[in-house]
Amino acid sequence: MNDMRLLERAVDTQVNKITARKVQVYYGQNHALKDVDVDILDKTVTAFIGPSGCGKSTFLRCLNRMNDTIAVCRVEGRIDLEGEDIYDPRVDPVQLRAKVGMVFQKPNPFPKSIYDNVAYGPKIHGLARKKADLDEIVESSLRKAALWNEVKDRLDAPGTGLSGGQQQRLCIARAIATSPEVLLMDEPCSALDPIATAQVEELIDELRSQFSVVIVTHSMQQAARVSQRTAFFHLGSLVEYGETGQIFTNPKDPRTESYITGRIG
Amino acid sequence: MTDATANQMPASGPAARSKHGSILVQAPSMRARNRAEARFKAYGLAAIVLALTMLAIMLTTILSDGLSAFRQASLTFPVTLDAATLDKSGNRDVAEMSKATTVTYGKVMAQSFVAHLVAQGISTEGVSEKELAAMLSKDAPAALRNDVLANPDLLGQTIEVTVLANGRIDGYLKGRVTMESAQKDSNISPEQLVLSDALRKAGILTSGFNWGFLKNPDASDQRPEAAGLGVAMIGSAYMMVLVLIITLPIGVAASVYLEEFAPKNKWTDLIEVNISNLAAVPSIVFGILGLAVFINFAGFPQSSSLVGAFVLSLMTLPTIIIATRASLKAVPPSIRDAALGVGASKMQTVAHHVLPLAAPGILTGTILGLARALGETAPLLLIGMVAFVDNYPSAPAEGVLDPATALPVQIYTWVQRSDPAFVERSNGAIIVLLLFLMVMNVTAILLRRRFERRW
Ligand SMILES: Nc1ncnc2c1ncn2[C@@H]1O[C@H](COP(=O)(O)OP(=O)(O)OP(=O)(O)O)[C@@H](O)[C@H]1O
Ligand SMILES: [Mg+2]
Repeated sequence: MNDMRLLERAVDTQVNKITARKVQVYYGQNHALKDVDVDILDKTVTAFIGPSGCGKSTFLRCLNRMNDTIAVCRVEGRIDLEGEDIYDPRVDPVQLRAKVGMVFQKPNPFPKSIYDNVAYGPKIHGLARKKADLDEIVESSLRKAALWNEVKDRLDAPGTGLSGGQQQRLCIARAIATSPEVLLMDEPCSALDPIATAQVEELIDELRSQFSVVIVTHSMQQAARVSQRTAFFHLGSLVEYGETGQIFTNPKDPRTESYITGRIG
Repeated sequence: MTDATANQMPASGPAARSKHGSILVQAPSMRARNRAEARFKAYGLAAIVLALTMLAIMLTTILSDGLSAFRQASLTFPVTLDAATLDKSGNRDVAEMSKATTVTYGKVMAQSFVAHLVAQGISTEGVSEKELAAMLSKDAPAALRNDVLANPDLLGQTIEVTVLANGRIDGYLKGRVTMESAQKDSNISPEQLVLSDALRKAGILTSGFNWGFLKNPDASDQRPEAAGLGVAMIGSAYMMVLVLIITLPIGVAASVYLEEFAPKNKWTDLIEVNISNLAAVPSIVFGILGLAVFINFAGFPQSSSLVGAFVLSLMTLPTIIIATRASLKAVPPSIRDAALGVGASKMQTVAHHVLPLAAPGILTGTILGLARALGETAPLLLIGMVAFVDNYPSAPAEGVLDPATALPVQIYTWVQRSDPAFVERSNGAIIVLLLFLMVMNVTAILLRRRFERRW
């Protein structure tokens, strides 16, 4: 991993965007997350790694309260977004999700046109008053998602007709069209080929200048390539969290070391 | 790979073969499996052939017995409307004129008919005057009387009328009544049939498309030739529209609530089980409920399409709810995640994404539910829609409170009557009902094709 210049990778800011303290998640009787403490920095890419079933997706979904849609799921502890508790009863999860966008593992464009896919978020949040404003948001989001050149001539074509990689970038465009402050990505490249993966990774690196990005990945290389900070989960606990360079070159916990060298999987 | 053997298969003798043996020889277990597969295919094919044969037999009987209902014999001859008999007071006052009953009109008509036969030189040998008059439908004088009352100026004139022939004559033209059957039939004699042949030759007795069958209301036992499906079709149409208006919003709202909003707990489980139970309740039970609740308790008029629609709605709702919930379930959860993920509210997610995707399924379920309601008889009998109705219900909206019947009920009533002419008509009504059902099912299929989307 010496070609990745891990040690040069500096974290730009130290401003906390999200602070999680003593987060517990239960699915019915199943205690899926135990005592997770994480600080997610602004304008930083944070990677969550860990073996399958360790609770990465679960924690990610806590951050925009997507777990609310699962009836058996119960979240305890405190998660603050810029100092405000997102589980406060006064918080409307719908409003929260406009600030904390999400891209899912499987590309899931709406069965509507490419334009409508991207315009949907801004429309329901009333971000554009005129059609021209909306056009602008759609174009800039598609440009940011590195999809504009491929689809600018067929914005009316169905989003579901795109290739898998294009669909995933469309979903990213849809997520950033609402100008969120945090972008959560759950294995965004698991369905993509190496070229599309490279495009999405490049994109994530660009998005870092505007958002705080949290990405779940099973690829150690990907975590090392795109993230500044890495959190390693194991069996529902956060084992180690720190600068990506340090986690990959000098892990403190033996479990982290075995995982990144391929001994736990 | 430059040597000459590159294109040849490497040599391998039987010794090189693995313990599974040659693939060119079928293993015994493989043969047994293939036989089982062939047997299974044969069973399936046999089942389908059997089903298709039954369907073919059913359709042929219905068509062969019922198609003749769409043709009707009628008689055309001039009638002299004698002003002295039909308007005794002579002042063309409709109120006074209506004192002349259908019996009087019947006499006038019979006289003209006989006179016309004589004038045409057609022999009426062996047929009494009374029997001659009986060859006309009992409905004919009433029809003529209505025409005259509507237009008193006709009095004194000689007009050309086309009236329905008696059901037996109609049956003779269709081959249902024969010389032999006429011998035993007190309503018709072989001589009348001989005369019919002569009338046919003279062009007085003709047979044409039976518009009356589709337009007329029901008629009494003695006048099968005048009976039609008009009231039944209007009643069925009113009920279908009402059932659609009642069930679609309620059904969709209930399903969306249960599927998308309701917490999953004991109560919703209980509701779910009971909806499935309701779908399995025999329809006659809904009829009893409708009688008790809508007529006896709420006081809605008996035999009205509104009450019929209420009862059919109760029956259709579970079907629609089950179909709607199934199509809501079939919408991939990733679409809901996507919408919620960009910050759509639950309601927006449902209205903008889930319902449009579920719409084809909902529509198909609704149409199939309606089709079932259209063919339903038992509950309608209990709320009095079996009554003899010979007045058309008025136009909507008041019309839904007027007495009406429905297509399947009309079929049921006609099959019970003794005259074979009614059996023919009930088969004809079955054809009409099947046509409606076919149109509805084809619509359902087309809608599904049209709106089905892949994602
Ligand atoms: N909807 C759910 N209902 C019940 N249990 C769940 C649900 N989702 C996840 N779990 C449980 O929570 C635990 C953590 O699951 P999670 O999906 O967060 O794992 P993950 O780290 O994302 O795994 P992967 O890498 O395979 O995606 C697992 O034990 C899983 O069985
Ligand atoms: Mg996961």
